[in-house]
Formats: sequence, structure tokens, C-alpha cells
Amino acid sequence: MSPVNLESYLLVGAALFVLGMVGFLTRRNMILIFLSAEMMLQGVALNLVAFARYHGDLGGQVLTLFIVTVAACEAAVALALILMLYRRRKSLDVSLWQELREPNLEPVVDDEPLPAPPPPPELPHLPVAGPKPEEQPHETSHV
Amino acid sequence: MALFLDLTDPTRGETLLTFVRAHWPIWAIVGLGFVGLYTLLPAPRRSAPIWGGLLTAAAILLAGVWLMPRDGAWPESVLFYAFSLLAVAGGILMLSQKNPVHAALAFALVVLSTCGLFLLLAAPFLMAATIIIYAGAIVVTFLFVIMLAQQAGLTSADARAREPFLASLTGFVLLGTLWIVIDRTYNVAPLLRQLDQVAQAASWGEVEQVWGTAPAKGNDKTLPALEPLRRAFPGGPVDVLEPAWSRKDLPALKRSAQALLDYHQEHGHRRGTIAVPGHDAAKRPELPAENVAGLGRSLFTHHLVAVELAGVLLLVATIGAIVIAAGRRGEGLR
Repeated sequence: MSPVNLESYLLVGAALFVLGMVGFLTRRNMILIFLSAEMMLQGVALNLVAFARYHGDLGGQVLTLFIVTVAACEAAVALALILMLYRRRKSLDVSLWQELREPNLEPVVDDEPLPAPPPPPELPHLPVAGPKPEEQPHETSHV
Repeated sequence: MALFLDLTDPTRGETLLTFVRAHWPIWAIVGLGFVGLYTLLPAPRRSAPIWGGLLTAAAILLAGVWLMPRDGAWPESVLFYAFSLLAVAGGILMLSQKNPVHAALAFALVVLSTCGLFLLLAAPFLMAATIIIYAGAIVVTFLFVIMLAQQAGLTSADARAREPFLASLTGFVLLGTLWIVIDRTYNVAPLLRQLDQVAQAASWGEVEQVWGTAPAKGNDKTLPALEPLRRAFPGGPVDVLEPAWSRKDLPALKRSAQALLDYHQEHGHRRGTIAVPGHDAAKRPELPAENVAGLGRSLFTHHLVAVELAGVLLLVATIGAIVIAAGRRGEGLR
């Protein structure tokens, strides 16, 4: 009997699924929303592989292969959609598309300002090239 | 409700309050994780994320202690805890990073540790396939992030979360519920406690405290714990309990409860491992030895139509991605 029980694998899968769901709901960057959906799929795949192991049946692994296939299709279409939406709004923020919301919902307004970006680092700059320095007598004396 | 081993309440009149109270350790761990994740989610004016990180780490640690096997560490369990800690911590990091490049790196960590778990679960082909496919996917995502998001610097898309409180509350209520369902289905510790009480009982009254009153003669009420016991110990000597219980035969009942406990000891049903009926540990097919061959056989015999459909789906998705990304001739690259 395997020393790690099925319950533990199912719980890790559930945790990955829930973290992906929270990320899908909260993040506003479209690429991160896509990655969160992929993380939910990882949780489901972990569940299926664990069941395959503990039931001694390869069906779970076959289903996971199909999940990977569908995830690849999803990645292609989602990245193409993200590219198209980015071209329209010049931003990855999904809140810029909130006119698609239902008519009775309030719009999301960002009232709290973002913190000021940190000042650019002080780079050393070269001085303006000046007149040629005069020759010092002690520099030429040791010839 | 038929999913649950209904041990605590034979009348099944369970209210929300008793439900929460019966599983308070799980809800405490999940609540800790909720507060930690809520403070970790990106917000414009966020204090240093030390407290959120500490709370989340405490929640993960407590969950690990809760799941920890009681009979020593095996190499597999050490690897399991390492990989699952990396996976969950990577997921939390991905949610809390303001920089999308760092978030994509954390997602790569999640995928790699899930692949480690796949290897532990005797799925080497899936591990290799996932690493190869997701390596490509993550590289492409990196390109997108660098191409699209890095020009603007810190934007409100990355520095703000949408409804962080409600979303994480929803997520963690779901996690707690899933955890309780898993625990009720696979945890045989309460059943073992009941059996132990019955086996140690000095009088019939103690048995009635555990399993309720036996029926009068002619009444065919069954033992309430019989069905859970059958599911928890498939193939075990469960059925002898029922006649002893309905005859109120205390010595026989104690003997059969002890026999069931011995069966548990002998067959090593650990906490949470239920042997699947018909799939003995000895009869379990050797998954790692012929993984790729077995997957191929299964794919091209039982799932042949699905394989063809997946091929069609890939083709359609490729064409669709090209059509969507290229735009129409007149309006491309606006």
C-alpha cells in the first residue's frame, strides 16, 4: 500500500483548483487570467492521475492527456484573443472592456491612485567635454 | 448527502452550525489561508506582505500536519510534501505578484512540481508530455508578457485585484467544502473509534450510546454504521456485526468488532486509504512498468474516436487562432 494516501493528493488538487479560481476572479491582467485557468486544469489533472493510481486504471491518465490537448487548444485561442483585445485597447486590463457588463451593474471605478513609480535610478553621466587641460610641469618632468 | 459516511448524525438533521462545528479544525485552517491570501492579493496601497505571507505559510503548515501520516516518513511521503508545498506556494506566489513576469515564473514552478507529483503517481509519460507542452506554452506566454505588458510598467491591470474579498471568500469556502467531503469520504478514524468503543464496552448501554438502540423482534432496522463500515473495509468481516447487534448479543458483538479492528491492523488500511473493491493491492496492475504502452493501447482501442476528435479540435483551434490573431485584411494592426 502506498504510504501517501489518496486523500492528500485530492486535497492538493483541490487547493490548486481553488487558487486558480481565485486568480481567475481577481487578477485583471488577461495573461494572468489565462494562466490561472491553466492552474485550475493542473489541479483537475492531478486529481485524475491520483485516481488512476489508486484504482489501478489507466483511464485517468488518458483523460489527463485529453485535458492537456484541450489546454493546448485553449492556449492558442486565448493568446490570439488576448492579442486582438490588446490591439484594440493598447492594454491588457480586462476592466477596460467593462462596457460588456450587464446593464444593471455599476461600473468599476479605481478611486485609489496607484503609488507613484519609483524615480529612475541616478545614472552617472559624463561631463561635457571641456577645453584641453593644461600640461602640468611635473607630469612631463620624468622623461 | 449520500456521498458522506454519515457517522455523527443518524437522523441526518444536520444544520449549518453543527456542520461548521463538527469540522472546526478544517475551517480554522481554511480561514487562516483565506485571511493570508486576501492580504497577499495585489492592491495599490498594501503594507509589506509579511503578515499575509506568514498567515498563508501557517495555513499550509497546519494542513500538512493534518495530513501527515502517523507512522513515520517514507521517501515517497517526503517527496510528496516537498512537491505539493512547492505547487501550492507557487500558486499563491502567482496570485500575489504584481509583475507579470514573476507571476509567469511562479506558474512554471507550479507546473514543474505538478509534474513531480505525476511522477510519484506512476505517470512518467504524462510528466514528460506536460513538461514539454507547458515549457512551450510558458515560453510563448513570456514572449507575450515581454511584448505587451513590459512597455507600460506598473499598470492598474497588475497592481489592483478585482473584488479580492469576495473572490477569495468564495474560493476558500469551496476549498473547505471540498476538504470536508474528501475527509468524510476517506477518513476511517471515526469508524475505528466507534469500533474500539464497542469492543471495549462493558455493558449493552455503552453499545447503544455508540450505535443507537437495537430493534425489537421482527423489526428489520439495520445497523446505522453498517454501510459506512462496508465501504471502509471492503472484504472485511463486516456482516457478522448485524445479527449480533439485532440479537443484542454483547459478547458476539464485541468479538466481531475486535475481529474487524484486527482486520484493519493486518491489512494496513491506513487513515484515508480505502481499498477499492476488486482491486487488491496485489492485483493492481503495474502502472509504471508499461506506462507508455498501456496508454497507447488504451488510447487507440477504447478512446479512438476521442483521439480523432482531439486531432480535429487541434486543427480547428490552430485555424481559429490564426484567423483571430491575423484580423481581417482591412483592419489588421489598428
